[in-house]
Amino acid sequence: MFVQVLFLLSATLTIGCAIAVAVTKNIMHSCIFLLGSLIGVAGLYATLGADFVAVTQIMVYVGGIVILMLFAVMLTGGKDFISRAHNLLGLTPTMGNKWTYGVGLFVGAVFLLTNIKLFSNIMKAYPAKTFGSEFPSTVSQIGHLLVKEHVLAFEISSVLLLGALVGAAIIARPRKQ
Amino acid sequence: MNQTLVSYLSQYEFYDSLIGLFGKHQGILTFFIYLLFAAIIVGLCATIGGLGTYAERKISADIQQRIGPNRVGPYGILQFLADGVKMITKEDVMPFTADKFLFYLAPMLALVGVFATLAVLPWSSGFIMADLNVGIFYLIAISSLVGVSVFLGGYASNSKWSMLGGMRWASQIISYEIPVTISVLSITLLAGGMSFGTILSQQVGTPIHWFIFHNPFAFIAFFVYFIGALAETNRAPFDLPEAESELVSGYHTEYTGMRFGFFALAEYIEVFVVCGVGAALFLGGGNLPFNITIDIIPLQLVQVGIFMTKALLLYYVVIWVRWTFPRLRVDQLMSICWKYLTPIAIFNLVGNAVWMVLFNGKSVADLLFGGH
Amino acid sequence: MTPAQFDGLMPIVILMGIAILMFAGGHFVSVLLAPKKPSHLKETPYECGEQPVGSAWSAFNVRFYVVGLIFIIFDVESVLMFPVASIFKELNDMGNGGYALIIFLSFISVLIEGIAYCWKKGDLDWVKSFQVSTKK
Repeated sequence: MFVQVLFLLSATLTIGCAIAVAVTKNIMHSCIFLLGSLIGVAGLYATLGADFVAVTQIMVYVGGIVILMLFAVMLTGGKDFISRAHNLLGLTPTMGNKWTYGVGLFVGAVFLLTNIKLFSNIMKAYPAKTFGSEFPSTVSQIGHLLVKEHVLAFEISSVLLLGALVGAAIIARPRKQ
Repeated sequence: MNQTLVSYLSQYEFYDSLIGLFGKHQGILTFFIYLLFAAIIVGLCATIGGLGTYAERKISADIQQRIGPNRVGPYGILQFLADGVKMITKEDVMPFTADKFLFYLAPMLALVGVFATLAVLPWSSGFIMADLNVGIFYLIAISSLVGVSVFLGGYASNSKWSMLGGMRWASQIISYEIPVTISVLSITLLAGGMSFGTILSQQVGTPIHWFIFHNPFAFIAFFVYFIGALAETNRAPFDLPEAESELVSGYHTEYTGMRFGFFALAEYIEVFVVCGVGAALFLGGGNLPFNITIDIIPLQLVQVGIFMTKALLLYYVVIWVRWTFPRLRVDQLMSICWKYLTPIAIFNLVGNAVWMVLFNGKSVADLLFGGH
Repeated sequence: MTPAQFDGLMPIVILMGIAILMFAGGHFVSVLLAPKKPSHLKETPYECGEQPVGSAWSAFNVRFYVVGLIFIIFDVESVLMFPVASIFKELNDMGNGGYALIIFLSFISVLIEGIAYCWKKGDLDWVKSFQVSTKK
């Protein structure tokens, strides 16, 4: 019972906030709706029993990426600093009129329904895996996988992160004139 | 799977009669038990947060040889209620340039982030609302909502002081999260799990069995954690985001009335939460100093008392530090985090891992006196 | 997992709900009780009595962004280390402590390299790196 409630809450939060992200014109509000959407995704992970992934989602996205995005927006000075400077405030980015939007919506809906029909059999054939009964929790299983079967991936990911760190540091460093 | 408050209560007889009362609507019973305890815990924490403001003034008065608040109630102890009433009845002023939506949202996000951490706070071995497998990791993750909320508070006010304060605190929170997380990681390593139940079950007994005295590295890790926690909760000497002498009042300069009250409440509860986590991770939490096999509710209440005592002692130290040390500069703040605390925390982590392998997980006390 | 095992997540949702309700309730009471006499001067952003000049939403220094970037890398590294750290004791008790230690240390050593690089290149300095690099 509670799982269904949690799923409904998370799914509503995810989809509602995702639509709000796309619709809002204020970039700060978009960031905050994105935050809500990401929390909703964490809730969806939790309903699947993947507690570690859910918390990782909150830790990395809510605690890290969203704050980084807010900082990035503040690089430009928030709401309409750049838009005003380039006289873009009155313009709305648009690619068509009502007719093209209608066609786009129709094509998208057909595509989505076809995909659901196509993939539903495959999805049903492979139900979601639960973690192995020999482990007390998902964390323990992830840990065992990281040090045994996927140890190379674990080690290489640290090198990848080192590369990301060095790259971030170099890109963000102001260049000498 | 996760041990919870309900699974703990279900070992008592009165729970069976409750089940009989609710019949097959088990979920509703569970919901009401959680709701009841959540209300109790929120009430308790709000009182602690309120009394925190009183304690802050009284202790600072003591340190500065003043009297402090002494008019409302005996020794002025009801001062926080008077403050609360005052905040509710104050006019709600919002700058006309403010971003209204975010201005409303920011204090709410702070409250949500702080209250959500209360779900895993271990009051005793039985009274813990949900002993999640990812307990401490969850707590670190969800408390980062506070960082977002103060940034939004600063941004939405559209006041220069608020904006500077919000930016400063957001960058301070994310910087000091690194040493805190790595210190917590070394405790995870020693305990062999992230849930508070696992961590606490390893620290049963006299103080020499606490993780702070497990090995020299864990001892240093406690201080790294504590300094990082001070900075994360915006306490002096790290209170740059609301440095009164330079930023007026930081991110809540423009907040008045009830919304300011919620920010202050969230801040004081968060200080209590980090103190409680410090007590649980390093100081044995609510564990009794001897092994007991019987499990009755009065003993659990004694454990709650022990936990609260430890957490409130740390709370006292936090206030004491605030009124003792001068404030840092921004560049000093950042260099302390990245050049001192983070390397020390990583060193502690390596040291703990090596200690685990070399001495087979035995603590200093075990090595000296034999044991376990 | 059976549905009953998810009950551990219920307190989180309940506490978040209480926070939202408390905020709404406090707001409601405050609307009922508090006076409402707005004036232009009262609603001006506070700038110590001066007329505010311009908006506070101006471009901020890039150093906040750099701190954020470095933070995310460390954040992800600590996320990856948590599962390994929580089974470290178990592996050690099974007699695989040396193996776990080698894996753990080789992961951390790369992390240390990263922080050493940033330290050496001055990315961890709050002020200095920007002053030095803007010089000719």
